[in-house]
This record gives sequence, C-alpha cells and structure tokens, in this order.
Amino acid sequence: MFDRNRQDPVLSDAGRLLASVLSSAGEARLVLQEQPSGRQLSIGPLGRWSRHRSPGLSHNGRYLAVLVPQGERSLALLWDRASGNLHRFPLPAGEEAERLSLSPDGRHLALAIRRDGRPSLRLFDLAGLLEADLPAGMPLRGGGPPAPPP
Amino acid sequence: MNRGTAAGSAATPPLLRAPGLLPCCLWLTLLLGCQGPGGRPLPGLERQLDQLGASRDPALGDGRLALISGRGGREQVLLIDLLRNQPIPLPGLNRPDAQPLAVAIDQRGDRLALVRQRQGRTELVLYRRAWASIELVPMQPEGVPRRVALDPQGQTLAVELSRNGLWQVDLIPLPP
Repeated sequence: MFDRNRQDPVLSDAGRLLASVLSSAGEARLVLQEQPSGRQLSIGPLGRWSRHRSPGLSHNGRYLAVLVPQGERSLALLWDRASGNLHRFPLPAGEEAERLSLSPDGRHLALAIRRDGRPSLRLFDLAGLLEADLPAGMPLRGGGPPAPPP
Repeated sequence: MNRGTAAGSAATPPLLRAPGLLPCCLWLTLLLGCQGPGGRPLPGLERQLDQLGASRDPALGDGRLALISGRGGREQVLLIDLLRNQPIPLPGLNRPDAQPLAVAIDQRGDRLALVRQRQGRTELVLYRRAWASIELVPMQPEGVPRRVALDPQGQTLAVELSRNGLWQVDLIPLPP
C-alpha cells in the first residue's frame, strides 16, 4: 500500500470519509475509507470500472461521484450509496472531462472539460435528480401547513 | 479578478453583474433547459463563465462555485454564488505575483484552500473570507502540493503532494 501513489483526495463532513485514487503500475482505483480507522468501504458498481479519476463526495457520503474512461473519452458517474442508483453524465462529442466536483449537498455537479483544446466548465443542477444530502442537524424548511401563531 | 474589476468592465457579462437584467432569451434557456439523464445543464452560467476566460479546476460548496479563470496568460480564483449568479469578492486572495494551481472551498465558501506558485515556490495557503486573511499551511515533512480538498465544514484539509518520488495525501486538521 505504501509504495503506491495516492491522489485526488475528497472528504465528507468532518473528514469522516475519504475518497482518493490509489495508483500503481498503470492502474488507478478509487478507494473509499472511513477515517481515522482507514477501514475500506465498498465502491459498489463503480468498481466495474478502473482508471478512476477525480472523485467527489457529499456531506454524509451518500453520493460518490468519479470520472472513468469510456473508450477514448471519459464519463462522469455518480453512485447513490443509499438507493444503489447509478447516474451517468455523458458529454457531447468533442468534449473531454478532466476534473469533477460534486457539491456537498448533492445539488450541483461541475465538470472541468476541454472543448477544442480550450478549458471550460460544464455545470449541472441535480435538484430534480437527487435528494439533497444535508449535513447532520440541519432543519428542513418549507412544505406542510403553516405553523400556528405563538 | 476582484468584484470591482468585474463590475467596472464593459465586457463583464450581465449575468455576473446584474442578474435582474438578464435578457429574456437567456432566462428562457435557463428555465427550459431540458432534464437530461444526468441532471439539468446550466448553459447560461457556463456561457457567462466562458466570456470571463478559460475556466478550470471547479470546486463546489453548497450553492457556491470556486474556479480558476484565466485570460491572456493571467489566471485568478473566482467565487460564484450559484443562487444569485453573482461573484463573491475575495479581497487579497488574487495577487499579481502568484499563479493559482488548484483551489478548494468549504460548504459555504467561507474558507478557500489554494495551491499556488509564488516566487518560484509551490505553496499551500488557507484563505478566510470573513477576515480576508491568508495563512501559509506548513507540510511536515515537506512536500510539493498539487491538489487540495476541504471537508464541508472547513475543519480538515486533504492535500495531494509529491514527496520522495510518490504522490501522497496528507490530512491536516485546521483551527476553528
């Protein structure tokens, strides 16, 4: 383990989960670990791919996103660890994803891309796709009948 | 680029200057953006960022986006409020003698971690927006930082660095 490169770290709330990419001999694999124990957790369907890059994690680690190769191009994947759903974010032809960032609440995804050799960003609003992964102790707002007057 | 510079430039996109004056067609684009298999694209904001320069290295908080944007060989860190589509000022962060390499933010964009090159050295700094303060983050033992991440609360910093010929990750607790 110690002779491998470890890259692309991301943390969930209070640093409880660390996602990073361990690489050795041309292989790069996503690793999800509890901290500080280092206990390794499953990466579910994301394990079907290799050469992972640039992971993203939500507040409680419900959502785990990563870039993987798809043929000559790259594909952004997002795994919902609660439901098991796997979401794909294909890019139009001519665009190559280089970096990924997932907002902690799971409401936005940003991809750094290269289009005709020029760096640019692709931004996605995930509010209609995913439940928010809110930090612990955060009250929900809205919905239901109005509160009675004090 | 600080907010004053952006607001004073004739080339500043209206989305980042005055969201209330968005052209109707842009609002329609934003409102009717189709729901693809992977979420709703935000082409309006993407276009406006493209007009500011070449964008790279995005880092998302909750409703905040930090990125490195460059034009004409000069790059700087920008922080965008995604709810209001407005830039958030970062006084003192972007220096003419420093080249930003990577950026990270906490969930509210209160703290930014930055890998930058300055005076021939690659350094890791922590920026606190409330105080507009920058402090150097030491690495023990020394290494050359490349990428950085903050946990959403801004309490822990994870830095990818080159040390002894390997890429390693250090976890660094930060003071409150």
